[in-house]
Amino acid sequence: MNSNFSENQIQRLTNILKFFVLLVCGVILMAPFIWMVSVGFDRTANITMPFPPRLIPEELSGFNYGIVVENGRLIQSYLNSGIVTISSVLIGVTSSLLAGYAFSKGKFKGKKLLFIIVLCTLMIPMEPRLIPLYTLFNSVNLLNSFWPLILPPIINGMLIFLCKQFFDQLPNTLREAAQIDGAGEFRIFFKVYLPLAGPIAATMVILAFIWSWNDFMWPLVVLNNQDLQTVPLYLASFSLENGTSLGGLTMALATVSILPIVILYLFLQRYIIQSIALSGVKGE
Amino acid sequence: MNENQAKVQPNQEPERRPISPLNRQENEQSKRVVKKDKKKAFGSGIIWYIFLIPAFLGILLFMVYPIFESLRLSFYQSNGTMETFIGLDNFKTILTSGPFWNSVWNTFYIGIFQILITIPLGFIFASLINSTPRGQNFFKVIYFLPNVTSIVAAAMIFAFVLHPEMGIVNYILETIGLPTPGWLSNPSTSKWAVILLSVWHWIGFVIIICLANLQAISPEMYEAARIDGAGRVQQWLFITIPNMTATFAFLLITGWIGALQRFNEVYVLGGPSGSPARSIQTMGAFIYERGFTGFEFGMASAATYVMFIIILIFTFLNIKISNMKL
Repeated sequence: MNSNFSENQIQRLTNILKFFVLLVCGVILMAPFIWMVSVGFDRTANITMPFPPRLIPEELSGFNYGIVVENGRLIQSYLNSGIVTISSVLIGVTSSLLAGYAFSKGKFKGKKLLFIIVLCTLMIPMEPRLIPLYTLFNSVNLLNSFWPLILPPIINGMLIFLCKQFFDQLPNTLREAAQIDGAGEFRIFFKVYLPLAGPIAATMVILAFIWSWNDFMWPLVVLNNQDLQTVPLYLASFSLENGTSLGGLTMALATVSILPIVILYLFLQRYIIQSIALSGVKGE
Repeated sequence: MNENQAKVQPNQEPERRPISPLNRQENEQSKRVVKKDKKKAFGSGIIWYIFLIPAFLGILLFMVYPIFESLRLSFYQSNGTMETFIGLDNFKTILTSGPFWNSVWNTFYIGIFQILITIPLGFIFASLINSTPRGQNFFKVIYFLPNVTSIVAAAMIFAFVLHPEMGIVNYILETIGLPTPGWLSNPSTSKWAVILLSVWHWIGFVIIICLANLQAISPEMYEAARIDGAGRVQQWLFITIPNMTATFAFLLITGWIGALQRFNEVYVLGGPSGSPARSIQTMGAFIYERGFTGFEFGMASAATYVMFIIILIFTFLNIKISNMKL
């Protein structure tokens, strides 16, 4: 009885200890964000950084944020990123749903070989394709437009793979019933299977969105026009131009650029975390 | 009956039938069914390829063509307009070039330490989160947050966080009496600035993957161990860790592939040449510098192929280990 009691106590103590370790490390992990927001709100940090660092701004003001928003380039880059991301997600998810469904339920010659080809695309990184894709889009005069960012995501091996696995879990009897009713393959896909594909479609949209929104190297290569910059491109060009000379402004800019994604993440965190975990445990 | 036949021999059966006029006249009734069957048998083969058209158009244009084109380019001296065949010279130049091997060294150095630090640390955090009775979801959200923010914005913030004079890291180091490194202002410590940033950014991903797999370990195993008298630490050492080896392998290899392709954060922190003194120029940055600031397309293509082969080896391992089913 006595030993049982103390064991319980130890258990409770370790739980409290664990909680505190996690809390402290969480705060350390969040520290750059906290500092970023605080410096952004500091009027005196507009040009020279406050030293020693402080948590509460000396002169609280939205001055830096005002400049960032008034400048307009961030908003422009948001619009650009929005156009690019929405279009490329639509194209990529649609083509992957079609292909994933065909690889799961279809019966046709060369299915296995074609699927292996799709899996092989997972092994091809962006770097060796960079220069040929650049010259390809250059030859059709599409550099400095959004097309080079929207079109290539039409092929995404990971999305096709995830989608095929999802459709594999749906029973074939659904198809057979629809077939007896005389429905064609496209009808069966759109009327029977697509309405059931909500969960995987949501996962695919989330993953494609994250990939497209954060894409950097390829947009850097094809977009030289300042008016077409996506959010990461604008941030990078601002950072390379100014280095660490404009503390308050840079931090305000970083905050405004991160904020919408963070809000979106806080609302959708369960689905986003699930999607990431799903793409990570893809072997099972 | 007809249904079955059409399925067994989709190509031959329906084609043969209508040829005989007898068939048509005699079986007025089954004619309609046969016609429908023919359409279905014909369609069921071809129509699936229509489903695949968008994806395979993409594969041809954006995967197959560029991969072979860049292989071809690697044997040419090219600036995008003028091309001359020079055989293996590009590869010779690359493989004997100091800056290229320097970029390989930087990439490997940053990648190895990032992985060696992040996977064990992330696993420990995941175990803690998994076993804490309160606030699991809260911690998950907090720890994953850095991974959601774009690495470009993160690099921008870290330039300040690690600033030698006004950054918070050096301020804290100074107040507790530790030496304050120059971080990004000094070639001998700049790689560690990138490592810190990449650990901070990647750890959320490692934690999420570890948590998903920790929760997949069957509780009966722990139950059995508890009956045998194993303590918490013993359970962790002898049940949890052995069950996580596949996860560690997966993280090791995806992390390594990502590390080999590192570009975004070093570009923001050090520009295409990876300053200071090329100390953080990765392979990706080397290729970008050669290809798009120097427009040496042939040379850059050769470098991408060397990099591609290195990545290919590790991706192949990834597929082997994560046991993807065809």
